[in-house]
Amino acid sequence: MYNQRTKRLTAILILLLAVVSSAQENYTLSGTIRDSSNGESLFGASVLLQGTSIGVITNEYGFYSITAPKGNYTLLISYMGYEDISMEITLDKNQKMDIEVSETALQLDEITVTAEEPERVSLKKPEMSVSKLNIRTVKQMPVVLGETDIIKSIQLLPGVTNNGEGSAGFNIRGGAADQNLVLLDEAIIYNTSHLLGFFSVFNADAIKDIKLYKGGIPARFGGRVSSVLDIRQKDGNSKEFGLTGGVGVISSRLAAEGPLFNSNGSFLIAGRSSYAHLFLKAAGEQNSANFYDLNLKANYKLNDNNRLFLSGYFGRDVFEFGSSFNSSYGNLSGNLRWNHIFNDRLFSNASFIYSKYDYDLGITSEQFDWISSINNFNIKYDLKYYVNDRFTLDFGGSSIYYDFDPGQIRPTSETSAVNPLSLDRRKGLENGLYIDAEHKISEKLTLQYGLRYSTFNRLGGQPIKLYENGQPVVYNPTLEIYERGTEIGETDYKRSETIKSFGNFEPRAALAYQLNESSSIKAGYSRVAQYIHLLSNTTSVTPLDVWTPSGPFIEPQLSDQYAIGYFRDLNNQMFSIEVEAYYKTVKNRIDYIDGSDLIGNNTIETEILNGESRAYGLEFLFRKNEGKLTGWLAYTLSKSEQRTPGGTAGGPGINDGNWYYTPFDRTHDFSLTSAYQLSKKWTLGANMIFQTGRPVTYPNGQYEYQGLSIASYSDRNSDRLPAYHRLDLSATYRPNRKPDARWKGEWVFGIYNVYNRKNAASISFGQNVETGANEATRTAIFGIVPSVTYNFKF
Amino acid sequence: MKTILKIYGILIVLVITSCEDVIDVEVQEAPERLTIEASLDWEKGTAGNEQTIKLSTSTPYFQEDRNSAVTGATVRVTNDSNGAVFIFADQNNGEYFNGSFVPVLNQQYTLEVVYQGETYRATETMMPVTDITDLTQSTEDGFDDEALEVNVIFTDPADEDNYYLFSFQERGDLLPVLEDLDDEFVNGNEISWWFEKEEDDDEEEFVTGDIVDIEMYGISEDYHNFIRILIEQSEGAGLFSTTPVAIRGNCVNVDNPDNYANGYFRLTQVVRQSYTFE
Repeated sequence: MYNQRTKRLTAILILLLAVVSSAQENYTLSGTIRDSSNGESLFGASVLLQGTSIGVITNEYGFYSITAPKGNYTLLISYMGYEDISMEITLDKNQKMDIEVSETALQLDEITVTAEEPERVSLKKPEMSVSKLNIRTVKQMPVVLGETDIIKSIQLLPGVTNNGEGSAGFNIRGGAADQNLVLLDEAIIYNTSHLLGFFSVFNADAIKDIKLYKGGIPARFGGRVSSVLDIRQKDGNSKEFGLTGGVGVISSRLAAEGPLFNSNGSFLIAGRSSYAHLFLKAAGEQNSANFYDLNLKANYKLNDNNRLFLSGYFGRDVFEFGSSFNSSYGNLSGNLRWNHIFNDRLFSNASFIYSKYDYDLGITSEQFDWISSINNFNIKYDLKYYVNDRFTLDFGGSSIYYDFDPGQIRPTSETSAVNPLSLDRRKGLENGLYIDAEHKISEKLTLQYGLRYSTFNRLGGQPIKLYENGQPVVYNPTLEIYERGTEIGETDYKRSETIKSFGNFEPRAALAYQLNESSSIKAGYSRVAQYIHLLSNTTSVTPLDVWTPSGPFIEPQLSDQYAIGYFRDLNNQMFSIEVEAYYKTVKNRIDYIDGSDLIGNNTIETEILNGESRAYGLEFLFRKNEGKLTGWLAYTLSKSEQRTPGGTAGGPGINDGNWYYTPFDRTHDFSLTSAYQLSKKWTLGANMIFQTGRPVTYPNGQYEYQGLSIASYSDRNSDRLPAYHRLDLSATYRPNRKPDARWKGEWVFGIYNVYNRKNAASISFGQNVETGANEATRTAIFGIVPSVTYNFKF
Repeated sequence: MKTILKIYGILIVLVITSCEDVIDVEVQEAPERLTIEASLDWEKGTAGNEQTIKLSTSTPYFQEDRNSAVTGATVRVTNDSNGAVFIFADQNNGEYFNGSFVPVLNQQYTLEVVYQGETYRATETMMPVTDITDLTQSTEDGFDDEALEVNVIFTDPADEDNYYLFSFQERGDLLPVLEDLDDEFVNGNEISWWFEKEEDDDEEEFVTGDIVDIEMYGISEDYHNFIRILIEQSEGAGLFSTTPVAIRGNCVNVDNPDNYANGYFRLTQVVRQSYTFE
């Protein structure tokens, strides 16, 4: 085994050397692409030498490096929503060139370019299953209660769904919400929702761009098997001081940004707070819910080759239920990053990141507090080496230390009937090393191949229970049910000890073959390991669900995904079509035994069985990129199933060991989003969504017991909620203003769920307390919701 | 603890515009199954000789006529230590009666039901229960600090795991409300278990003069596992409730295991009291 690996590595090295050695007589042009109005670096701008196939896309920090044989070229820079730039350059030495591009001005008879950038090199890039959204696109979409919502906007993309209003998180290609790695300026965000899914935690005023990897996850990412949602905050305006903000029905926002240190740096500070609870209180309502958040960003340019970035996020939700119950929860993150350019072809970034999610519940009536948290420290070092015009190398490593506090009960008074309790803290260390190459084999064929090696050490400092026959869960063949195993003792692990360790090779590969000027075929394979898991046996993810690390009883999840796609530009990039098919399997996906109880449970292993899941589907995306009418139409046909055999517990497993639908299965998922530039003052927007109902479990009979009618339930997830559909409309009004006016305002009028569809968030079954008859009760969260928001920029 | 999740569900309903309505839903139809309601409950301070076991069959979920009494079965309970057999006589209305049952605390018994040529068997132990020390009323406990609630005060025995089943039924109400308690977080403490009614479309808060019948059962861990899920699921599967499952009791069909019976063979000691709100 070892020898084989060595051979493989040697082969890669030889390949590398071959590529490097052919890179002679070439010169390199490098630099940063920025927005001319505010100095924001632009991620994903395309930099191309016209008439050649030599081109790159700027990285997360706007950096590019392009290497070509000596000569005269026309350099072409393009970025969605910005004016193209073309300039003559003479490449006779290595040189640096920072370039600023300006936004396309909004003029009456001028076309506005929105939707996705017409990336000229994208057809050649093996990158697939990826969606990049600019915040400008997101802001144009109609939204509920006037709150621009990144999480809701990505749900308009093919392969992205969620459990409907009132549920946190999102599901990618039939995966669970905990299988998404959500990064805000590289910091892990554990809960993406405010108010249980009504709003996302990302303040659109502080966000620059969003990139969603539904598959084909590059080797530099790891740790979640379904997707990566990479969200980047703005750096802050480095040219002049500015204010942006908005006043809405539910919340208001204010952001300030400006230059620092003689324009060698900039800052951004953005805050947002809801105030509906104030009205509720004023109206005599005892119960209330509100949220607020704060985004911070600062950067400082030490010199041409070194820049520091500081980012922070703090958000919180607060619930009050009269005086008997209160709860708050939220994310906190902070990080320091250091960009260092070694030379014109080697870019590096080091990140030091802290993030935390915690919640507390005060049960005043029972006189106790319940608290829980997850903390992590993360060090990352990423390098990008532009070897030559045909070969780019990404490599680096990361290390994450986790500290999970699954729960503590603290009585708040002497007379409390509740005893103090601390569940065992769990600790883990996740390491990853990766190398990823993008290799242009020929004019038509580009490969991307890489390898990530990840390890996870479940660290000591806690006891681990021992079970009879090593079975935390035991099948009772007489009653045909799964029961908790019998504890026979425990092993106490010292802090310095490792309880269990895991290691996984995660190969990633992709290719793009360009069929002609406007179409290409891409294919990809990726394996990803996931070492931490969200425990949730409820129909919707709740803020109270607890994360738990892999260990003696929970194996890491391991996904293998295969995808193939066809990409085509039509009519000179006016339209584009993307069709992708995927097949994904996940090993070691846990599910919960019948009657599992996770709350305050110190021994989760007695409630779960290890299983597997699989998902496959076909995604179709048609976009109109330019013109007065822009937008896209997305359709996904898919299936997502899981199977949970008995394993070491014995017995047939959950649902008799048969495949059953995951709660994230949607046979059909259709969405249409569009924006129309009616006039200089008015822009109209519309969203249309249709989804097959979520798999749920309904009764299949009833019997009398203890004077009550008791439902017997059918097989897990063998029924479905009614289909989910709705239409949203919006209109944005930008009043006349003088071209040089500092104050720019706009009104956004929106109607969510125009035809007042009562989409079922859940259907519950029970007895009518007056008649005793069984009935089905539907809970629908939002009917028709009109809203108005005023946004300004100063 | 599970109430926490329920509270979130309620919060959503209350705080944010949402609506609930009763709708028609098509459900699957499972094959008919025998239900054994063998609850041998020994009221403290009585002889506990008179016991009834009810047999019925399941019906489709939305079927209005739920009268499905089972007659013609043979039912008997055996004391596993001394072999004493108690025959429960068919009353031809779904009830099977024995007037000379001898309850013994912590004693194991076996139930045997023969119905349509198949034998169902279950084994369970008679569980004791502690006394209710006091019944009080208040407004400050409970979810709503303005609504009246009744408090059942008792002292949980220390150094042992105890499980409780409560039944509250206001006189005049059609249905009882069942609640379960595991002493895991409150072991050995004096416990005040409150019950309050919320003001909504179907229900009214307690007012002076209301009488509520209270039952407190001592139950086994296995029965707690059963009744806990049953209670949770009978409250309806809301947004944050766990995925509902088939609930398996302890009555095993020894001839045809797949054709198991719904219900449970339980033996409990129970304290029954009433409280009139002042």
